[in-house]
Amino acid sequence: MNEAPRPEIAIDGFPRRRRWAWMDFVTSADHKDVAKILMVGSGGFLFLAALELFLMRLQLAIPENTFMEPYTFNRVLSLYGATSIFFFVLPLIMGIFLYVAPLQVGARGTALPRLSQIGGLLWAAGAVVLYSGFLWTPSEAGVNPLPPLSELAFLSNNGVDAWLTACGFATFGFVLISIDLATTLQVDRAPGMAWRRAPIFAWAANVGSWLMLFIGPVLLAAFTMLMIDRNYGGTFFADGGGGAPLLWQHLTWIFYSGAYMLVLIFAFAAIAEIFAVFSGNELFNRNAVMISLAAIAVIGTLAYMQNMYTAPIGIGWKYFGMLLSLALIVPVGLVFYNLIATLNGGVLRMRAPMLFSIGALVMTSLGLAAEMQQSLVGAAFYLKGTTASTAATSFALIGGSIFGGFAALHYWFPKITGRAMGEQLGRISFWTTALGTLLAFVPLALAGWEQDQVVDAYKFFNHTGVNFYNLLSSIGVLILLIGVILILINAVASVKGGARAGHDPWGGDTLEWFTVSPPPVHNFDVQPDVRSALPLRDIRAAIASRARTAEERAARESQPVA
Amino acid sequence: MTPHSPGTGQINTLIWIGFFAALIVVLAINLGLFGAIRRNRGERGRVATQPRGAVGLQWRVAGVLSGFAVLLFVLGIIFTSNATSTPQTTSAGLTSYHGEKLDGPLVIKATGQQWIWRYNYPNGSFSYYKMVIPAHTEIELKLASTDVIHTWSVPDLAPKVDAVPGKNTKIFFRADAEGEFWGQSATLSGQAYAPMRTAVEVVSPARFEEFIAEQQKDIRKGNEGAEEIEAEKAGEEEEGEAGEAAEEGPAEESEESIGEGEGESNE
Repeated sequence: MNEAPRPEIAIDGFPRRRRWAWMDFVTSADHKDVAKILMVGSGGFLFLAALELFLMRLQLAIPENTFMEPYTFNRVLSLYGATSIFFFVLPLIMGIFLYVAPLQVGARGTALPRLSQIGGLLWAAGAVVLYSGFLWTPSEAGVNPLPPLSELAFLSNNGVDAWLTACGFATFGFVLISIDLATTLQVDRAPGMAWRRAPIFAWAANVGSWLMLFIGPVLLAAFTMLMIDRNYGGTFFADGGGGAPLLWQHLTWIFYSGAYMLVLIFAFAAIAEIFAVFSGNELFNRNAVMISLAAIAVIGTLAYMQNMYTAPIGIGWKYFGMLLSLALIVPVGLVFYNLIATLNGGVLRMRAPMLFSIGALVMTSLGLAAEMQQSLVGAAFYLKGTTASTAATSFALIGGSIFGGFAALHYWFPKITGRAMGEQLGRISFWTTALGTLLAFVPLALAGWEQDQVVDAYKFFNHTGVNFYNLLSSIGVLILLIGVILILINAVASVKGGARAGHDPWGGDTLEWFTVSPPPVHNFDVQPDVRSALPLRDIRAAIASRARTAEERAARESQPVA
Repeated sequence: MTPHSPGTGQINTLIWIGFFAALIVVLAINLGLFGAIRRNRGERGRVATQPRGAVGLQWRVAGVLSGFAVLLFVLGIIFTSNATSTPQTTSAGLTSYHGEKLDGPLVIKATGQQWIWRYNYPNGSFSYYKMVIPAHTEIELKLASTDVIHTWSVPDLAPKVDAVPGKNTKIFFRADAEGEFWGQSATLSGQAYAPMRTAVEVVSPARFEEFIAEQQKDIRKGNEGAEEIEAEKAGEEEEGEAGEAAEEGPAEESEESIGEGEGESNE
């Protein structure tokens, strides 16, 4: 019995299999690889969404334009709706959550990695379906395909089916990823990391996952019912035969409102991390922000009826929608307050993540304030369905997804690739995107408010007083498109050409900066014990104090004994 | 939007209230944000010293925000219920109809179909694209749709409302100024959604009675000699000006003469 004990892990490297590196990548169940698929894919779809928006604005640059046929416009519109929501915004958010949150809580992988893998692949399958549908007859039913327009009687080609399948696959993917993420965050946190010590972004990932678990299946149910209506003679939404077109609105608005809240939660939490690190401060009041984020998820989703003010539902329900929408003022206001208060007394480093965060707060403040105006039932009797409502939603969602998303991406890019994103190009792309967004949507808000320009229309008429607004908006979207391209070029170029960043370029306080960049498959060699909300600050302090003790001891020992 | 009815006046006021509330919010957030940035720009050698957020402070902020929300909610309810309350017919309005006293509102039925609005008047006559109503008279507009969801919207006169197939909705309004007001459908309804506009001509009560009587006569004549008129209309349509032609003629023919001469056919 004098043999050396066998090592616990007795594998000398994995047996080498003969296949391509990309095959390893796409078949990997590692949460970081799945997240990369989502993030890279969503970058591509951001470009496509911006391009589609630009095409529509090109049609709407001058009155009574004949650049696009009406049905072409409706196809681009439907494609834009699916691309921007299901293939840019949500995968970007789920991707960053899936990459960063397990690292932040010190997990050595996710709890149910195969679910995430299937989720990522389902999402990719959805993307393929959507864009191969483009080769045949795409949907003409708009951003949210309301029945009866999306029923077989009115759109008899297979476009709506492709649209539903694509977005359904994607949503199912997000739900699976959410199961994995929620489980991981529940059971795999590092020893000592109670929720009160968990990073705010990991908390947001937890809230967001639970939110997706509730809203995703609702949308899938609606999609399934519409598919049954279209393909198997169902009458869920068809008028006559007991169907109710309004049912679709209830179900889908639950999802869309929840997804809207998901964007806000994601952006606010990313900004909270960035503001804290780049000001050298802690988040002003962690508990208030954590509770507020959860409250936003619950209240915001329940407030879905604020999208149905003109629909034939009881006035009491409209007031209920207004009540919940206005109740959102409290948690959203608290988050804004705490984010801004975090900067107080700090030493701000105005790097690209900080710029994008500030841009995100400005844009979401504009969008949410306008949404607040439109959540008043009476005001919505006029403003709903005008471009003013498009502008409000666009400000909030572009603020959350493009600005908030790229703030997060600039911030975690060094962790993901080991290299920093270009600072100079980051600044240029930020100002271009910000200018483009403002120029694109402020005129639209005015056109909607003053002249009742309607949404989703393939043309507007001369002499309705909106020519100049629309021209400005089209120029704005062109600038926005250029800004988006610059951001994407910056990201792509920095993967190989960025400055080497080391494992902790920003001096972060959370655990993802504890491991090397990019992290190994198992994330952490050692899982540290967590004793506060800022574990890395503790570790740095411990190292410093140990170094100091060592120095003192060395100094003592080098004293002449005499 | 220039309100010309009691309800839209309330709506307009509420929009302005909402605008100023939004302005306060935007200014508070952005002044706070940029003030904090300006005060705390990085300087070499300075160490971050953070004031900590006491719980009491959060409650106070939450209290202020709640007060703001409650205020907006109350104002929202007051102005919305004013805007949706039924306005009474004034003495200058249509008080009698066909020699009989008119009790309650004048009922008009608006039916949305791809892609035109049809208006049915109490005497059985109807018109397409343009609705003619008497001024100073309470109108009950019943909305229905024969195909997809359309949103009826004439912002100067009445709140927006969806016409959902299988559901009957109604709104009440009263136009206080004579003139022509236009509106546009606000829910995507298919290919010719953008030119699916509508107009409301507000006329004096006397002129209104004249109009629907004429309209009834025309329709009866049209039904009798439908083929003749169809041939005539086909000639007219080639010259354009379909928007005006859309006012008259039986349903089957007017389908094609969509407002603004778009002439999209529903395939």
